Amino acid sequence: MNKKDLMLILIIALISISIIIGYRIFEKEGTKKALVYYENDLVLNIDLSINQERVYYVDGYNGKVKIIADEGKIKVDSENSPLHLCSKQGYISKSYETIVCLPNKVIIKIDTQEDLDAIVK
Amino acid sequence: MKTYLKYIIFSVFIIVVSLNFLSSNNNKLKEYNTNLFYMDTYIQIKIYTTSQIKADNAFTEVEEIYKKYHQLTDRFSTDGGVYYINNNTSTEPIITIDPILYNIIEHGINWYHKSNGLLNINIGNVVDVWKKYRDQKSGLPSINELKDSGDIDINNIILLGNNQIKNNHPNIDLGAIAKGYTTGVVGNYLEQNGIDKYIINAGGNVLVGNHYNNDLYKIGIESPIESGDIYQVVKGNNISVVTSGSYERYYEYDGKLYHHIINPHTLMPSEYMKSVTVITEDSGLADTLSTILFLMPIEEGKEFIKELDNVEAIWFSNDGEIIKSEGFSKYE
Repeated sequence: MNKKDLMLILIIALISISIIIGYRIFEKEGTKKALVYYENDLVLNIDLSINQERVYYVDGYNGKVKIIADEGKIKVDSENSPLHLCSKQGYISKSYETIVCLPNKVIIKIDTQEDLDAIVK
Repeated sequence: MKTYLKYIIFSVFIIVVSLNFLSSNNNKLKEYNTNLFYMDTYIQIKIYTTSQIKADNAFTEVEEIYKKYHQLTDRFSTDGGVYYINNNTSTEPIITIDPILYNIIEHGINWYHKSNGLLNINIGNVVDVWKKYRDQKSGLPSINELKDSGDIDINNIILLGNNQIKNNHPNIDLGAIAKGYTTGVVGNYLEQNGIDKYIINAGGNVLVGNHYNNDLYKIGIESPIESGDIYQVVKGNNISVVTSGSYERYYEYDGKLYHHIINPHTLMPSEYMKSVTVITEDSGLADTLSTILFLMPIEEGKEFIKELDNVEAIWFSNDGEIIKSEGFSKYE
């Protein structure tokens, strides 16, 4: 191996390292999202940084659950359940807030990747 | 040509090594999650272990535990358990129950005496009256309706040893203790099976083990008056954090809120505070104590937990004032 080889190897190694570091940093940043689950399955990952009202339908245990997302906030608009608790809850927007539609087994979480491990209320 | 080949091989090697770096952790602990629905609650469980198989096995067993304890402790679960005690129409003087249920009832009776009757697991009759009004979302039960709803005397739950209980039709309600008690059982199961790093959040009933990164877990306590607002962060490992509050399961009538935690002395929803959060090692104890503290004035509660080892609490008063127990700062 001559000097040129060594230089190239170093450059490739540098690029690789920057990829690793860049990946780690990028991974941590992330935008404000809403995660929608049915039982254990993530069924929707909604970007809340877009300034536009969007409508989604998710299959709940008792039928369709209508979800409305907007910039920085999300709500359940309508669903089929005895008390309609989760559609009455209205918009959630803050980190840690959740909408739990127990009869429909649908959960919506705001994900801002802050560093709390759990919330009690 | 040869040198090019050399470069390409070397580049590929470097890239493979780098990618390996990104997705390494083969022998390291990985995070696994599951969500369950039992005890009218959404339960989130996060564990740290080395393989998917180990995680799946643990989750299967954990679900079995919640399912079984739900069936045993839920008043409306007709599969047996407490329903079988409350609704037993047989003429047998004595019935034999599951040892798990026997122990939970015994725990409840012990804490009835230690709390001067504030924690009363025989309060099902009164709870049912309030539930009826809450479901119809209007009206108020009269004091006579509450008093005449049936017996709430703890002495009518008679444990006879050997998992036997006298068949004299109590109306046992384990809502104040079952969730925390079961979560504690799940924590013990995980630890006995080599999983000491975990977070369980059973509807605000949190239990954490050791930290996954040699740090402390951070558990946020949400404000009872502003949803999503964290008013205190608790830091610690191997602790349980449980809140009792007036803002879940309530209804509004005539401009006033009526919630579900009933004082057995007055038969009315307790109004000494907005919420109280208890921190202690044992999850069942944390759940039990959060109900007891919710049912007594804040100052009385501060005195009450002074008598107990390693129990701390934080109160959110009706005026929005935050009051901490003496040793609370060790979790800050």
